[in-house]
Amino acid sequence: MNLPEDFVFSPSSLQDYVDCPRRFQLKYLQRQRWPAAEVDEMLEFEKRMEQGQRFHQLVHQHLLGIPADTLTKHISDESVRQWFETYLKNGLTDMPKTRFPERTLTIPLGKYALLAKFDVVAIGDKAIIIDWKTSRKIPRREWLAKKLQTIVYRYVLAKGGSHLNKGQTIEPEQIEMRYWYAEHDGATLSFTYDKEQFATHEANLLHLVDEIDSRPDFPLTEDMPRCRFCTYRSLCDRGTQAGSLVDWDTMDTDDVDLADFEIDIDQIAEIEF
Amino acid sequence: MRLLKDQQRVAKEHFDTTIFLEGIAGTGKTTAAIERVKQLIRSGVATDSILVLVPQAALAIPYREALRRSRVATGGDIHTATIGSLAYQMVDLFFPLIADDIGFENPLDRPHFLSLELVQYYMTRFVEPEIEAHDYFNSVTISRSRLYTQIVDNLNKAALVRFDPQTIAERLKSAWRGDVEQGYIYDDAQISANLFREMCVRNNMLDFSLQVTLFVEFLWKLEQPRRYLMQQYKHLIVDNIEEDTPATHDILRDWLPHCESALLIYDSESGYRRFLGADPVDAYQLKKLCQTHIKLTKHRVMSSDIQAFQSEMARSLNQPAPKSPKNSDAREAIVYADNRYHPQMIDWAAENIASLVHSEGVNPAEIVVLAPYLPDALRFALQTRLNEHSVPNRSHRPSRALREEPAARTLLTLAKIAHPQWNIPASKYDIAYALTASIAQFDLVRARLLVDIVYRNRQLHPFEQISNEKVQERITFDLGNRYEQLRQWVDAYIQDEPLPLDAFFSKLFGEILSQPSFGFHDRYEAANTAANLIDSARRFRQTVNKIEPHLDTSPEYVAMVDKGVIANLYIRDWQLEKRDSVLIAPAYTFLLSNQPVEYQFWLNVGSSGWAQRVNQPLTHPYVLSRQWTEGRRWEDADEVAVNQETLANLALGLIRRCRKKVYLGFSEFGEQGYEQRGTLLMAVHSMLRRLRREEEHV
Repeated sequence: MNLPEDFVFSPSSLQDYVDCPRRFQLKYLQRQRWPAAEVDEMLEFEKRMEQGQRFHQLVHQHLLGIPADTLTKHISDESVRQWFETYLKNGLTDMPKTRFPERTLTIPLGKYALLAKFDVVAIGDKAIIIDWKTSRKIPRREWLAKKLQTIVYRYVLAKGGSHLNKGQTIEPEQIEMRYWYAEHDGATLSFTYDKEQFATHEANLLHLVDEIDSRPDFPLTEDMPRCRFCTYRSLCDRGTQAGSLVDWDTMDTDDVDLADFEIDIDQIAEIEF
Repeated sequence: MRLLKDQQRVAKEHFDTTIFLEGIAGTGKTTAAIERVKQLIRSGVATDSILVLVPQAALAIPYREALRRSRVATGGDIHTATIGSLAYQMVDLFFPLIADDIGFENPLDRPHFLSLELVQYYMTRFVEPEIEAHDYFNSVTISRSRLYTQIVDNLNKAALVRFDPQTIAERLKSAWRGDVEQGYIYDDAQISANLFREMCVRNNMLDFSLQVTLFVEFLWKLEQPRRYLMQQYKHLIVDNIEEDTPATHDILRDWLPHCESALLIYDSESGYRRFLGADPVDAYQLKKLCQTHIKLTKHRVMSSDIQAFQSEMARSLNQPAPKSPKNSDAREAIVYADNRYHPQMIDWAAENIASLVHSEGVNPAEIVVLAPYLPDALRFALQTRLNEHSVPNRSHRPSRALREEPAARTLLTLAKIAHPQWNIPASKYDIAYALTASIAQFDLVRARLLVDIVYRNRQLHPFEQISNEKVQERITFDLGNRYEQLRQWVDAYIQDEPLPLDAFFSKLFGEILSQPSFGFHDRYEAANTAANLIDSARRFRQTVNKIEPHLDTSPEYVAMVDKGVIANLYIRDWQLEKRDSVLIAPAYTFLLSNQPVEYQFWLNVGSSGWAQRVNQPLTHPYVLSRQWTEGRRWEDADEVAVNQETLANLALGLIRRCRKKVYLGFSEFGEQGYEQRGTLLMAVHSMLRRLRREEEHV
């Protein structure tokens, strides 16, 4: 068995495994940090992440009831201001009124657990998961459909979302996963769900977990160009330089996983006093 | 572990009640609380509506781990918090609601949250010049870093005890009955605290004290943030409330009537974090707000012999002594070693630990080595001896300067060479040291030889410029080659626009140092240190640049690390520590982790440090507490009583966290060569004499 008994999977960790088993091993099993650059334009990359984080926070604050004009007064970044205005215009279109911002659900997955952190889940007749995207490019629909985030979010909500729905199970047919693109005037890409997909996803996820847990080794990806954007490239003898941000922008890529960059608030508080 | 009857009551008592659970350490309070959480979840309560509130983050780890292991089908991860993390989250989310009312000069700007290192930085940068200009604290002989910590400590206490920070000196002076000089020190501490607070208000900077103040005095009084917390968390589990502060207790006073259920856990005879504002007396008053009271009295940790030892030690420390169990023998629970010199005591400890691990098959994780303080010399000596005996070990100290880590020193030295415009020189020794760490198989002798020749005018020159072929051969062409790669990389970097320091570190690490045949390639620990340094430098840049956009933060950061201003503890390291290893820690660090073990080694039992509170000339934990009566004076008798109470709580607290045996290590002469005759030693000797007399009598 490769995994510790309290291991919790997330869409990012599963995606990392699918992309490169070795990356999964280093990052989640060995928890090895390797602080090389991900892209050449580090500061521009960091700026985008900060903008993305700020936008997510504004939407969270708004959904908690802080008036939009109060929030707008505090925005100093022009891109973020435009994104927020776009959100106010169409971000919540046809969203059910019961909304749960920044909600985490964890469900059992085989012997382990699977976690999904939703930007917003809105529950009514339909159950809509919204994921706010601030990336420059809208990826291809078929690429997004295969992404573990698209698969896991819908599966987790169907499997473990009942307490968000007054104890009633959320049927797969009620669920829609919607990616909302701030940079593109709020364009959306939506994915519906049904029992058949649910059953297939469950089988695939369980198989994936079983494979991770039992495999004897964790080989490097064969998709070498991917290594340009992986910080472990030097550890794996897969290159010297980080990939270019221009290339990153032209690829089917996603926003950087903001969870990787969140400040450890306990750390701040504990150190402080 | 099977739950006893009262523990089961805690776990299964009605889920719509508020429970006050008390008992001394080791009676299974946390175990019962974890079971209650599981029962709540099984009964259909949403996991994310349960909040586990603790005085420090590490105390929540048993809850998270137990729930993950338990396989209880949860709908979310359990939420855990401290007053600090709650304050941070709430201020971060709801700041716009109070921005206009808190007197900040730029209410529309976002707040900047300060870590301890940034607090130290701004103290050094803005408050230190004032201190020097006015000759404040001229009679205080502690380090600047400790001085600043205590100034900030006073502000923290004002926030956590909830008094006006302008009254710090007044409170301290009113209780002081000694020389007039101390009064001036308190005045200086007040002026410095005021200066720091004014600077924070001017620049939207939030240190810990301001975060707590904004949360407790502003946000908690508003309907929206309060409703957010109360609606989100309907079930509260509050562990170790005796180690928490009045600010937390006051929040609970308001919250308890509105939650669906609550379990407040009080560890009797504790209060170890008093110097950080903990108030066990205030905590105990929450009992009357709870509907159900349960007391656990059966020990679940101590063996019967250890219980007998606890009882004997309590007698020797003039504390109420619990009755020893039948057929128990305190002598079976202790091993006492009387050594003349300090190194002999360390050898004794290492040999006994090795014997436990290798001969008796004890898991190293079930052994801790404790001392009142853990200076580097003691830590190093112990680790060296344990390594010689092939015993896995780890040490934990509350803080560690990054510059002490070889990987960090290497990166900082190379940064100085790559940024001649900073005008911060690197010594030849530092450069040679950096080369040995940067290039695999490069030893210090050859590195020094190379540096003596190629480092001139603060620049690294090419290997081929070494005119003496014999010297080239001695260094070897292979090493020379790799040196050249590094040098050329630095040279190319110098020709370009400089990067921020953290970006420079990342680039250097990724493109050179972690490449095959370079020093960081297979060294995972060095990579972790590099990552910590990069995090620290990045956060420094991100925050400082928002406050002062035109300041070049890179040389500023390097200078601060060199001065020892910037040091940080990374929780990540704490979590990643080798679990199956002997822990070497200061006694309080172990106590506050609240994890019992089978064997404890107490070193330096002759030290007076076991019974003395920390020397804090600028502050006073008792006078600045809510329990202090206005107008009272702090007398010598108070100091003696506190020292006795401190020792008793510490010694008995440690014993209650031990399952099998305590090894008491004494050396007649301490590390500094002085004779050791502290109060703990007196108590141990008195206990041993009594036990011997009783044995003779029998």
